[in-house]
Amino acid sequence: MSDLHATAGRQATPEPPAAGNSHVTTAAVSIRNLSKSFDDVEVLRDVNLEVKQGDVVTILGSSGSGKSTLLRCINWLEQPERGTIHIAGERIGMNADGRPMSVKALARVRARTGMVFQSFNLWPHLNVLHNVTEAPIHVLGQPRQEAEARARELLDKVGMSHKQDAYPNTLSGGQKQRVAIARALAMQPEVMLFDEPTSALDPELVGEVLGVIKALSAEGYTMVIVTHEMAFSRAVSDQVVFLEKGLIIEQADPETFFTRPRTERVQRFLERHQ
Amino acid sequence: MSNWQILWQARDQFWSGFLSTMTIFGCAISAAFVIGCVLLYLLEGSRPRLAVPLRVFIDGMRMLPFLILAYLLYYGLPSFGIRLDAWWSGVGALAVYHGCYIAEIFRGSRLTFPPGQIEAAQAHGFTRSKMFLRLILPQIVMQTRPLLGNQLIYALKDTAFLVIITVQELTAAANSLSGTYFIPTEAFIVVIGFYWAVSIVMEVIVKQCGRFGSRRGFDNV
Amino acid sequence: MNASAWHMLLEGAWTTLWISGVSIAMGVTAGLILALIRLARVPVIDQLLVLYISLARATPLVTLALFIFLSAPTFGLQLDRNVAGILALTLNTTAFNAEIWRSAFRNFSREQREAAMATGMTPWITFRRIMLPQMVITSLPGLINEMSFLIKGSPAIAVIGIVDLTRVTNRISAVTYEPLPPILVACVLYMAIIGGLVWAQRVAERRANRLAV
Ligand SMILES: Nc1ncnc2c1ncn2[C@@H]1O[C@H](COP(=O)(O)OP(=O)(O)OP(=O)(O)O)[C@@H](O)[C@H]1O
Ligand SMILES: [Mg+2]
Repeated sequence: MSDLHATAGRQATPEPPAAGNSHVTTAAVSIRNLSKSFDDVEVLRDVNLEVKQGDVVTILGSSGSGKSTLLRCINWLEQPERGTIHIAGERIGMNADGRPMSVKALARVRARTGMVFQSFNLWPHLNVLHNVTEAPIHVLGQPRQEAEARARELLDKVGMSHKQDAYPNTLSGGQKQRVAIARALAMQPEVMLFDEPTSALDPELVGEVLGVIKALSAEGYTMVIVTHEMAFSRAVSDQVVFLEKGLIIEQADPETFFTRPRTERVQRFLERHQ
Repeated sequence: MSNWQILWQARDQFWSGFLSTMTIFGCAISAAFVIGCVLLYLLEGSRPRLAVPLRVFIDGMRMLPFLILAYLLYYGLPSFGIRLDAWWSGVGALAVYHGCYIAEIFRGSRLTFPPGQIEAAQAHGFTRSKMFLRLILPQIVMQTRPLLGNQLIYALKDTAFLVIITVQELTAAANSLSGTYFIPTEAFIVVIGFYWAVSIVMEVIVKQCGRFGSRRGFDNV
Repeated sequence: MNASAWHMLLEGAWTTLWISGVSIAMGVTAGLILALIRLARVPVIDQLLVLYISLARATPLVTLALFIFLSAPTFGLQLDRNVAGILALTLNTTAFNAEIWRSAFRNFSREQREAAMATGMTPWITFRRIMLPQMVITSLPGLINEMSFLIKGSPAIAVIGIVDLTRVTNRISAVTYEPLPPILVACVLYMAIIGGLVWAQRVAERRANRLAV
């Protein structure tokens, strides 16, 4: 399946800003034979997925199909029973000998991914600027000044620099999510993971967040996005993946996926979501 | 003779100390409960001008250590020509002090009492005192029973303060025994065991009352 | 009451304050450590801690203070009165504080912890930078409430001969033969101390509520 990605639908693919030291040909994320169950219920079944550097992959599927679980396996917030996941060539979760990684090693690999949650999950005791600088300072050991300068740039990018001293509880949902995006970007991750970033937002706030994500894709960030926004998925994706009961039943470039779906299941899904 | 054997021979002293503590506790907590109920009734608003001084009194009590109130009754009252012996000062102080805490617990629960029930009772022609006794008080008591249970344990522990104003109770028994035979460790272990056992029994009783209460549907009014 | 009576009262108040203050500081810290140990659920240690907490909550402070002060010498330990008093207050308050910390820990938002892990924080950094600061804010009202209880229990140390704010009233009336005035002044001083704590608790509650996003 690894050869199944298309570059149609995207014009420019500049060098990703994430300063990965891996070779250009390594995939940003490579998932092989991934299976995961919760109490005997198989939620993911033998999933294979390759995300090239600079690509945007959106994951679609009905509720409970395993989208969040797949995303959360990528940064090991869920531990799969079988299969391997590599982030820019580095295996996450397990050592080569098949034993669990040390917490330190795991944290180091996780730092190469950035995640944006449906419910924002900003840290309420820190203001906007410090939400963004917290991990760079205390995980990467960046000097405070450097981290803050970079945080201001990122807040500017997501249109939140005017709120850098505000506390999360004073922000709207759309503003919180844009700060959460800046927080994830601050770690200069190889890949950004989004789990329904706009599902908790009032309809009039969805646009501002999707706008930021679109801008990131134009800059060449590698992203895996779980979403229910069809038009957005079509506009931004290099690949669309459709999950059904833990299986990838369709995977294609957005043109093909949205105009000529192969399976009847996807046709019905698209009809319902037009 | 081992220390434990000495203690066993002195078991009567422990036992009478224990009975004394339980008598003080029983009298004081019953009176405190009544005081709590009366304060709640007075706060109900029959006399609005009474409510403010009562609240000040209750809050004031809750800002004092128990022992200083016992001092006030035991050492202070004679200045007014009222002479209480140590036992009555102790029981009186416990009753007033914990009565105020109980009143505050009740008041907190009264604030969330459904007004619809009261309106319904008034519509049925209940008098104020009938309504209080038959409708409000039973529900509030059942609702606050975990907090009341806690308060019972605090009251039990506060009885030990009375050793300082020379009341002969459980801690005093351990103190005098350890002085007589110089076996403080064993004497106090036994006494702490007594307090612990009573606390556990009270906790179990409060839980059982909870079962009974939810069977009677007190929890989902 | 003359000047020396006032002086003695203030000295008693100071004794109450510093002994309580030391016990509070030690009790809050030890409570946090116990809470963390309990979260680790080490088999035998966990049961021992449950037993300790249950015993400490049921034991009157007076009894505990006497126990420690009188039985230490039988183990060859000559404890200073103040040390015994502080030990008793600390042993008592630690048990309550441990429960306050533990509930703050258990109620901590899983999502926020995941957000921290996702940025590559180790569990230790997550605890130190994300959880602990918030646990302090959410626990503070409960901890301050427990401080009030400790002050209200502190006259127990009079039983081992420490001249605290309550006991000093005896000393004064032994000279003046007028017990009522010093007791009333002591009442006012206690109300000031505990009133201050009640006020601090309200402020802490407001801050804790603001944390809830
Ligand atoms: N922690 C868990 N424990 C048990 N079952 C779980 C857990 N997390 C998810 N599941 C189950 O796994 C299945 C897939 O869940 P998942 O959250 O991945 O679905 P999803 O595609 O993200 O759905 P949605 O669109 O509603 O977010 C569901 O049936 C869910 O009930
Ligand atoms: Mg989901």
